[in-house]
Amino acid sequence: MTAVTLETSTAATPTRGPRGLLWTMLRLHRSALWFWVMLVAVGAGALLWAYGPGADAAWAEFRKAGCDAVSPGGLTCDMGAGAAYGRYDAAIALGSGVLALAPFLTAAWAGAALIGRELESGTAQLAWTQSVSPARWLAAKLAVPAALLVSGTLVLTLVHRMVFSVDGALRLTGGSRAWYQGATFEANGTLATAYALLGLTVGVLAGLLQRRALAALGTAVVGLAILAAALGALRPYLWPVETLTDKNEYPEFIGMVVGEGALTSTGARVPDPICVDNAKCLAEHDIVGFYRDYHPASHFWPLQLVETGIVLAVAALAVLLAFRLLNRRTGAAA
Amino acid sequence: MTETAIEAAALSKRFGRRRGPALDGCTFRLPAGRVCAVVGPNGAGKSTLLSLAAGLLRPTDGTITVLGQTPAAARERLAYVAQDKPLHPQLTVADTLRLGRELNPRRWDDRVAERIVAEGDLAPDAKIRTLSGGQRTRVALALALGKRPELLLLDEPMADLDPLARHQLMATLMADAAEHGTTVVMSSHVVAELDGACDHLLLLGAGRVRLAGPLDDLLAAHKLVTGRADASLAPHTVVESRTTGRQLTALVRPDGPLGDGWQTTAPTLEELVLAHLRAPEAPALRLDTPQEAAV
Repeated sequence: MTAVTLETSTAATPTRGPRGLLWTMLRLHRSALWFWVMLVAVGAGALLWAYGPGADAAWAEFRKAGCDAVSPGGLTCDMGAGAAYGRYDAAIALGSGVLALAPFLTAAWAGAALIGRELESGTAQLAWTQSVSPARWLAAKLAVPAALLVSGTLVLTLVHRMVFSVDGALRLTGGSRAWYQGATFEANGTLATAYALLGLTVGVLAGLLQRRALAALGTAVVGLAILAAALGALRPYLWPVETLTDKNEYPEFIGMVVGEGALTSTGARVPDPICVDNAKCLAEHDIVGFYRDYHPASHFWPLQLVETGIVLAVAALAVLLAFRLLNRRTGAAA
Repeated sequence: MTETAIEAAALSKRFGRRRGPALDGCTFRLPAGRVCAVVGPNGAGKSTLLSLAAGLLRPTDGTITVLGQTPAAARERLAYVAQDKPLHPQLTVADTLRLGRELNPRRWDDRVAERIVAEGDLAPDAKIRTLSGGQRTRVALALALGKRPELLLLDEPMADLDPLARHQLMATLMADAAEHGTTVVMSSHVVAELDGACDHLLLLGAGRVRLAGPLDDLLAAHKLVTGRADASLAPHTVVESRTTGRQLTALVRPDGPLGDGWQTTAPTLEELVLAHLRAPEAPALRLDTPQEAAV
């Protein structure tokens, strides 16, 4: 009798296993799933509104004020933004804001609801004593949210890029949302998706470390904030900068400026003594020119991809640690 | 040939370096098909032992085999109900049973699980969070039995139940176990709860095995004796003795026939367990190793 059952249990393949885990994941985290769908819908809806009626209204407002007459390249009215433009700008900020917020919401949810609460209440152990090993349980906990996060963030990123590609003239007026500015930079490329995945893995690791919902929530959010701040500070140095120099004054301010200062006759870079036009002062400090290090817009993709690679590597490390930790604790290799 | 349900060799588990061991060198063997009571005071290591057998913890030292495999490899063939009966509060009763079906695709038996739930008059669409402790216990047991386990590990299973529900569920459990030859391991600190249901005993104290073996053999190996306070009980092993006036009452493991001066009776399970709990320094007795006993 025992020999027979043993044979069936080792011979059969776990065909329904992944489907069962998928059902379990979707059923247990149904409200989180709907919340994410709603968030993506709100973000995408706001961006699409901005793309269509929002942009039209802003243009109409500028036309009424006669601001579009000066040059085809931009609107040179110094009137500041009108109400319609304000609404337009807010809608886009909402779209990119959802992308900027998603990693932190994900980290908090993954630490508290996905992992921490299950370990705290014992429902994780309940799953592990069904026919599901802890490793497969964790794999499902990572894979299902990851798939939903990637789809959601990619939709928002594509819509955001669509808006960004046509609103250059409008953008110049507000003077906001240059390609290199935080939320805009992330929302236009692969980084929004990468950071969302980092949030998930940091949250999962925090949940496994803390084993309590509330502590895991705090650890996950603080941990992600530290990582995001560190990576954000590194951003300008991830690709070689270009330099502009000028003998008399600071070069043109274009792109992502990384550093600037004065040059001496030996070519050394020194802090600007702030002589302005005082020739005596300039001679005293041996200043013969000025420089500015910057990233042109053509550096968008190299910067974007290098940072994405680093973020994904950190996320992969967190996944590895999570599996190691779980395996060490439960001793379940299978 | 007797199959082995659980076999532990020098099994130890420590939580953190500073705390003492929860389990300390436990060696025992539980044959398949038994209903085994794991008894001991609070903190004796009962829950730790069951968690190790369920593959939820990794031993610090020693080994534990379950149904001839590692606990992780035997995962499909065992069921475990933890002490606080964890269930997802946001699920309904029906969804909780569906979870069992989805996560045990090759073993699940809907009829068994649904019958246990129906016996408790539980509405299938009731949310788990609205249930009482006893009703949750019933759902947790339905989930465990629906899996058709070969080994059922229950940690303090009946603590939340009223006497009637306890009696009813215990009967269901025993009938199911007898019908399918399931090995049941049940921990408890209420000895009365186990009397009549169990045929094997594992008594733990301070992380060590105090008594292990078939219940009848263990009871037969002990005698409750009464005699004069100044009489000697050598060479028998005295587990515990108490003197009232000139009279001495003791639980002993006789080594040969007892002298004429002693009135002897067979101890009950409760007397056997209580005497060992009152005398933590009494030597351990294992009657679960037929091979060694034969030598």
